[in-house]
Amino acid sequence: MAAVDAVIAVEDLRKVFSVPVRDAGLKAAARSLVRRRTREVAAVDGISFTIDPGEVVGFLGPNGAGKTTTLKMLSGLLHPTSGQVHVLGHRPQRRERALLRQLTLVMGNRNQLQWDLPALDSFELNRAIYRIPPREFTQMRDELIDLLDLGPLVHKPVRNLSLGERMKVEIAAALLHRPVVLFLDEPTIGLDVTMQRRVRSFVAEYNRRHGASVLLTSHYMADVRALCRRVIVIHHGRVLFDGDLAALGARFSTDKTIVVRLPDLDAAMIARLGAYATVLGTEADSVTLRVPRADAPGVTARLLSELAVADLTVEDPPIDDVIEDVFAVEPP
Amino acid sequence: MRADRTSAPDAARLTVLFLRIGALNELQYRANFFIQLMQSLLALATGLVVLALVFDRTDELGGWSRPQLLAVLGVFTLMGGIIRSVIQPNMQRLLEEIRLGTLDYLLLKPEDGQVLASIREVRIWQAVDILVGGVVVAAAVVQLEGRVGWLEAASFLGLLALGATTIYCFWLMLAAAGFWLVRMDEVQELFTGIYRAGAYPVGIYPGWLRAVLTFLVPLAFAVTVPAEAVTGRLEQGNAALALGMTAALVLVSRRVFRMGLRRYSGASA
Repeated sequence: MAAVDAVIAVEDLRKVFSVPVRDAGLKAAARSLVRRRTREVAAVDGISFTIDPGEVVGFLGPNGAGKTTTLKMLSGLLHPTSGQVHVLGHRPQRRERALLRQLTLVMGNRNQLQWDLPALDSFELNRAIYRIPPREFTQMRDELIDLLDLGPLVHKPVRNLSLGERMKVEIAAALLHRPVVLFLDEPTIGLDVTMQRRVRSFVAEYNRRHGASVLLTSHYMADVRALCRRVIVIHHGRVLFDGDLAALGARFSTDKTIVVRLPDLDAAMIARLGAYATVLGTEADSVTLRVPRADAPGVTARLLSELAVADLTVEDPPIDDVIEDVFAVEPP
Repeated sequence: MRADRTSAPDAARLTVLFLRIGALNELQYRANFFIQLMQSLLALATGLVVLALVFDRTDELGGWSRPQLLAVLGVFTLMGGIIRSVIQPNMQRLLEEIRLGTLDYLLLKPEDGQVLASIREVRIWQAVDILVGGVVVAAAVVQLEGRVGWLEAASFLGLLALGATTIYCFWLMLAAAGFWLVRMDEVQELFTGIYRAGAYPVGIYPGWLRAVLTFLVPLAFAVTVPAEAVTGRLEQGNAALALGMTAALVLVSRRVFRMGLRRYSGASA
């Protein structure tokens, strides 16, 4: 049993799908009519973690890593094959009303609103399904309309909205019942940069106002950087990393980035620097170098002793590059 | 409280709610009303012509008189309206969402999944058939000249409700089979075809077919038995059988649906 006050506690969770397999071609198709062969695929293969109240956690992994499957088990849509899941003390697969009223799942590119009707009608439907008292409903609806800048959008039939507008309305519909646990699966996918930023700041604001716990997946590292201090990285259904976003680079990146400022920088000097390390880029008077992690101290010492260095910083590479490195790692 | 135990008043409340949304949706397509009305009248006219042809040659068909058969046609039309306005659209959507793995938003709601899956779609224009069928039944009753009392009328309505429930449960199991089998669409088509046989009392069919239409596909309870009630031909045994059959189907179909939900795998992640 995990910490008593954890909002989400997952222990050794597994989900195995059985997938039909057959070779291409008519013969194989005919054979599979008689004897269907299936293969067991573990989409989630023994993961454990806990999430505390009010935490915003980034859930990262490449396509097919098991992120969505995990979110669906956490919200009670899928039954786990084995292992334990507790959300707010409930087992989600039992679909208890007390739990479902307190959580929400938003999936980018999916639509739950009535297509031909204005969003306000769908809001009304959710009010009735979740039995939100009229006053609370009006207050929350207006708060969401304000925060997400929905104004005139909620009066238009959903089919007439743009992708970004629809996503904002979807998010509003999913939060009307004031959930304290939010599962956001790619909430910014396909949105333009402005809209992404808007959704991001909204999630941060909702988390601040309502103290909600958020588990978020995204392909956009900007989302994760802006919202999550902690990240859980899964790959091939297993947890590769669980900790501070800042520590991710130290743990996974095989390289360091060195930025040197040199007042008398010229082409000849850049060529010389090429001998020390890989030159990633140059600006007016500074050069960005990449070196293997182990070589970083040696290269730094050489730079300082041999050149007239005005300034020098050693950093982990940008988080986006780190994530790429992480996913390049094969499972044990 | 478990979300999968929605009480009857709750279910009624939700039904009204979705009925309203369904009506809002459909009112956007008013032309459909006239198209539907034409279709209903055309289907009815065809049915009447066939009946007229039959009674040109004989005074009764398998023990059913002309007005009695008219009542069967009325109940058939009426039940068809119930099926096409509520049962079929919901079950088709359910099956499709099982296949596509898009049942997610339904399962997220703090209500009984089966109840929600059964009331989301309403085709109000298809309900024209319910009215047309009702008028035909009334016409048949008038032609029967007062052999229908209050008791018959009440048992007719009761058996009609039971009949609709058996069809619903039957179709729910067809849809839930989609949790295990990939292609159930054709099976649904097959049912629509078989339903046409209900335009006549199942008693006129040979024994094996009668058994199929009674127990395998519960058409007898959906059309023939209610028609028996309104024409004063009902045997107590049949009413009891209808009640027992409905109760059994309600329990079994619910069980099947819930077993299916455990297998639900969602859209591929």
